[in-house]
Amino acid sequence: MPHTGFTLWLLAVSIGASAVGGTLGMAGGIFIVPALTVFGGLDIHAAVAASIVSVIACSCGSAASFLTSSLTNIRLAITLEVATTSGALTGVLLANRLPASSLCALFAAVLLVSAWQMLGRRREFAHDAEQTHASDWATVLRLHSSYPDQALGRSVFYRVRRLHLGLALMYGAGLISALLGIGSGVLKIPAMDSALRLPIKVSSATSNFMIGVTAAASGVAYFIHGDMQPAIAGPVAFGSVVGAWLGARLLMVIPSDKLRLVFVVVLVALAAQMLMTAVGFHPVAHAA
Amino acid sequence: MSKDLVSDRALERLLARVLSMGTWLGSAAIAIGLVMQCMGWGRVMSTVTCVRTSSIGIALFIFLPILRVLLMAIAFVRMRDVMFSVMAVVVLAVIGMAAFMGMRLN
Repeated sequence: MPHTGFTLWLLAVSIGASAVGGTLGMAGGIFIVPALTVFGGLDIHAAVAASIVSVIACSCGSAASFLTSSLTNIRLAITLEVATTSGALTGVLLANRLPASSLCALFAAVLLVSAWQMLGRRREFAHDAEQTHASDWATVLRLHSSYPDQALGRSVFYRVRRLHLGLALMYGAGLISALLGIGSGVLKIPAMDSALRLPIKVSSATSNFMIGVTAAASGVAYFIHGDMQPAIAGPVAFGSVVGAWLGARLLMVIPSDKLRLVFVVVLVALAAQMLMTAVGFHPVAHAA
Repeated sequence: MSKDLVSDRALERLLARVLSMGTWLGSAAIAIGLVMQCMGWGRVMSTVTCVRTSSIGIALFIFLPILRVLLMAIAFVRMRDVMFSVMAVVVLAVIGMAAFMGMRLN
């Protein structure tokens, strides 16, 4: 069992990572895994397993408000979850076969893509029902829906497009989630926004709803296999729930545009650290 | 409002309640385990008890999304929606396979 100081360090890191993630509208896993490996000195497999629980906790904790606001498309979520959980299953198979250095290098690449995505703006496509060609699959499955837009004071109808492309990207998102212990926003955002062309609010709510099930598919395997150390995963999960709650409140008061630029720098710095870890160079003292 | 939409809204409310309650329970179990550990109760009781309490919370969190899919499967079966019932069962089967893989991995 780790000493109390390290437990408190895990709690503080998870609260911070999740609060920052929540403020920027992303899961904290992308900050938690590098923090645990680079600064905590944990093996990346143990960090991924711990982070997976925090991803589930954050997803479940914030899903309720999205569901009651009717922003989540639950039929689309279960359709895409067939792909994300299958990807996670592949990820579980690969996780124990890939060396830690490859996972660190892959994580560095994901961090850099996330930094690049953070610099750009999410694009909202037009949702004019008359002018669009609905995907056949989406129509057969009755995935088109509407959501209440409080600013407009009415329901906004939207169609789900290019479901096959969305499913392919979601398989990749599930795979990355299981391998790296993250929510995989790096693939989910292009899948939901650009491929399926969902309204941003629906995209965020539905993605958040799916993240928990995707992470549970790999989480259950890591838990049964014994990769999940309760003394590490416990504080990380609890800290993440507290951090996500804080992040949602900070979102209201902190200008996220300025914060976004700061964290592009942080993501690039973490990517550099993960690359150094991948090649076996550890310039930072460990907290453990 | 279509019958589908009415049923989906009721399901959304049920899932919101379950996920919210589950998050509270999981967080509480982990918090109790952490407090026991940090207060040094592990020396008085047993370290295993502190770790087990946290493990219950972690297991609860992992089980929560699975319970959510199970509830969706039951709801879709009750709505006689064959396509979505099958999809929910497929998701549960994939998670079951992942659990099996966790037992068999070296």
